[in-house]
Amino acid sequence: MRNRKLIASLFVYGFLAVIVLGFLIPIGMMVAGSLKPDERVLLEAGTLRGYLPAEMNLQNYRDVFARVPFMRYLFNSVFITSAIVVFGLLVNSLAGYALARMQWPGRDRILLVVIALMIIPLEAIAVPLFYEVTLLGWRNTYLVQIVPFIANAFSIYLFYTFFLGLPRELEEAAKIDGAGAWRIFFTIIVPNAKAVFAAVAILTFLIQWGSFLWPLMVTNNEDVRPLPLGIASFYSLPPLQWGDIFAFGVMMVAPVLLVFLVFQRWFVKGVATTGVKG
Amino acid sequence: MFIGKKVIAKILYIPLFMLLLYGCDQHPGKKVPDEAESTLDVHTVSVWAHAGQAAERRVLQSQVERFNRESVNTQVKLTFIPERDYNAQVQAAAVAGDLPDLLEFDGPYLYNYVWQNKLVALEALLPQSVRDDLLPSIVDQGTYNQHLYSVGVFDSGLGLYARKSALQEIRARIPSGADDAWNLHEFNEILKKLALRDDDKAVLDLKLNYTGEWFTYGFSPVLQSAGADLINRDTYQTSTGVLNSEAADSAMRQLQQWMQQGLVDPNLDDAAFVAGRVALSWSGHWEYAHYRNAWQDDVIILPLPDFGKGSRTGQGSWSWGITRKSSDRSAAAGFIRFLLRTDEVLAMTNANGAVPGTRSAVEQSRFYGAKGELRLFADQLLQGVSVPRPKTPAYPVITTSFQQAFQEIRNGVTVKQALDKAATRIDQDIKDNQGYPFISR
Amino acid sequence: MPRDLKRQDCLNAWFFMLPALLGLLFFVLLPFVLAVGLSFTNLRMGSPLPTEFVGITQYQRILTDTAFLHGLLNNTIFALIVVPVQTILALLLALLINQPLRGMVVFRTLFFMPVVFPLSLVAVVWVLLYAPGPQGTLNSLLEFITAGAWQPRDFLHDGAWALPAISLTSIWQGVGFQMVILLAALQSIPEELYDAAKVDGANKRQQLVFITLPQLRNALIFVVLVTTILAFRLFDQVQIMTQGGPRNSTTTVIYEAVRAAFASQQVARGAAMTVVFFTIVLLLTLLQRFLIKHEKAIE
Repeated sequence: MRNRKLIASLFVYGFLAVIVLGFLIPIGMMVAGSLKPDERVLLEAGTLRGYLPAEMNLQNYRDVFARVPFMRYLFNSVFITSAIVVFGLLVNSLAGYALARMQWPGRDRILLVVIALMIIPLEAIAVPLFYEVTLLGWRNTYLVQIVPFIANAFSIYLFYTFFLGLPRELEEAAKIDGAGAWRIFFTIIVPNAKAVFAAVAILTFLIQWGSFLWPLMVTNNEDVRPLPLGIASFYSLPPLQWGDIFAFGVMMVAPVLLVFLVFQRWFVKGVATTGVKG
Repeated sequence: MFIGKKVIAKILYIPLFMLLLYGCDQHPGKKVPDEAESTLDVHTVSVWAHAGQAAERRVLQSQVERFNRESVNTQVKLTFIPERDYNAQVQAAAVAGDLPDLLEFDGPYLYNYVWQNKLVALEALLPQSVRDDLLPSIVDQGTYNQHLYSVGVFDSGLGLYARKSALQEIRARIPSGADDAWNLHEFNEILKKLALRDDDKAVLDLKLNYTGEWFTYGFSPVLQSAGADLINRDTYQTSTGVLNSEAADSAMRQLQQWMQQGLVDPNLDDAAFVAGRVALSWSGHWEYAHYRNAWQDDVIILPLPDFGKGSRTGQGSWSWGITRKSSDRSAAAGFIRFLLRTDEVLAMTNANGAVPGTRSAVEQSRFYGAKGELRLFADQLLQGVSVPRPKTPAYPVITTSFQQAFQEIRNGVTVKQALDKAATRIDQDIKDNQGYPFISR
Repeated sequence: MPRDLKRQDCLNAWFFMLPALLGLLFFVLLPFVLAVGLSFTNLRMGSPLPTEFVGITQYQRILTDTAFLHGLLNNTIFALIVVPVQTILALLLALLINQPLRGMVVFRTLFFMPVVFPLSLVAVVWVLLYAPGPQGTLNSLLEFITAGAWQPRDFLHDGAWALPAISLTSIWQGVGFQMVILLAALQSIPEELYDAAKVDGANKRQQLVFITLPQLRNALIFVVLVTTILAFRLFDQVQIMTQGGPRNSTTTVIYEAVRAAFASQQVARGAAMTVVFFTIVLLLTLLQRFLIKHEKAIE
């Protein structure tokens, strides 16, 4: 009996290990490539030698810093993404709560509208939105990269679904005490909703961190551009400097990866919450 | 405790509204106010340039520094924009009214901006002597609707790089100039002979790894050499009958054949010629430095093969224009004049291998002067062997249509089908824009 | 008293909704309405010619344009490949990781890592993986596995392989996300159900089919819907890896729309394409809402 279990678990480990190795190949290649001289990256891509570069050096990383103001890009990305996340959490959670728990005329219709708006991708509205922000004079600012993305239908929907699932008793007790809606929200609902706040924060962060098309359209100024635009500088006339591109990629992903590894349990719990309740 | 949280909420609202207010206060394009000393009356000229090869960027950067040191009351502020997205960016900025004082245009993309009325004519801003010194191809490129709207510091050269030793091995005739370029029959023979000696049979590099404008620049001369063209240049109203003519069809079919017969190296590492995998490379002036580095004196430059009506080649490159939005046009023109000084022209062209844009620079250039190795490029420009890409605001559509057709041809689509589709698309666009009438202001 | 409370509730609700509503109105709804309006004109970016109303011309053109239609087809094929494969793989991984074995958390972390990568970066790395010729990573791997039987291919330039290649990239990036959701759903299935089934004599397979899958229904539907919607939004990888692919075999609706609006400056045409896109995805979403149980808000 125990032997069967042992074989079964070995099988599971083995199977998972093989798949994981496959999964890690692209990541491994990126890291290894970032440490190799540019010319060798493509040549050694198909070989095992590609992963154990003989001459590892940090030259590509130095190139990246020499060629683009990486720290500036990093700061911009962090600033813009954090602003969207923080303001988004506030604005969208309030809306989600109002839709789930409050009574007001037109609520059901607005809910339908929110659901319909979830589908509209940025690319569909990019051009009219571009005209709009140009009229407002917001080009080349942080503003134009932050404000349009604070209110988000999908986030509202996630909050809405989650708040629906909270037990009514939580608010009943506070209402009897005479607490107003604002107080209820911040003192009772929020502390009980950490999972969904984490989920929305993480999802929003991941999506906005990689945002490329919009900043490309609305900024020219390196002062306010985020990381994904920085990598575009390396796409000039061939030969592409793969080593530099990968070094840039590693540095772009590393902060997020680090945050992920540290806050793993929150990440996973948060992401799971969206699916289970949805 | 809960009072605290409520206050926090209200407080968080404040920054939100402040952001909105702050936003309403913004002025377009003036996010970082320039410190203009009113006493010294310093003019700041904002300049955009494409982020090209490393050497080009370095030269331009040092030119800006030299200019700023030299001229006390005009300071240039340079911004590099990644090359691949350059046109899209400029277009977005143009629509938003956010263009800088001075910027580069990639060859024939210029005319669409003139049509959009974004540029000013340069005749009044550049003295006659400066204009007279420019190569005729430069003047031709920058002139639209009888006015000069842009000036290029250099022009481009396109040809067939070859390893002399490889050609000598197969005892091929080596042309001395565009007049006695190889005809197709000869060229096919040469390809065949070279392939016999080659391991992977791929002996020709067409820079298939490039993206974008290269395909129009590098291969529309084939159409012209065959007697066809991208568009009817008498009226600039239709491509049908020209782009999808018999001549065009047979010329592109020849190209397709070379690719399908395995004679063309995919060149993914961009090193087919440098690594010696091919003996012939269809490419431009920018490769000269690399190729020479790899093969020293064995590298020679030959005219493109003659597809029937004589060898033709491409021309045109980046050129500078001043925008209407610019508040100080003569300051901007001052920077252009600086860049056109013979020393400065040579500084740039020695770095990027391009053909210098002024006659004085050409004479003094060690590459393009009378005995220079790259003399062929200069000759092609001066003798009219080179054909400019169509001078029309419809150019963006023309080039994307041709590029698409090329990709399809490369992937095996019937040539006539691909060309028909491209011609129809171009015609439709021109019709949609009412023939791109020039609306005078 | 109750009426006052209701009014208070109503006022508060509006304050709660206001910033979000303003944001959505101004930055999502308004541009979309503009886009719909634009789709009936011939607006071109930067043209000095006046814009004219042209009725349904744009729609007529795009619905007869082979590239656009091919894009629709590709989106559908892509969804048909990615959604089942990614979901089944995610389910499989979730089931395996759910085993009470040591170190499963490590696997969970590793599988989730690709999700953290921006799509554009993923595309760049995979371009190299798909490099043609025997030096390409995937080619050499396949050659190794099949002991030399594999002929190296240029995946991204091959009409038959380009779309599957992009699909693999998306699956790689997205499976961790689905897996985590399914894993959490798995872990929330009450043990009692399984105990009862074992008492009744059900074997592992029967447990899987009759308990696990039904319990996962909501999570599976959610995951399938989100992935389908994302499949129709496919853009980044196409732009970076294949630019529409050999003979339109990898172009997508959004790619065509962006290309029309930005590369050809035909804003009105791009707008029409996105309206068509919106209609399709809206229909899909409505379909899902029929399938899922309706949650009831307080009435």
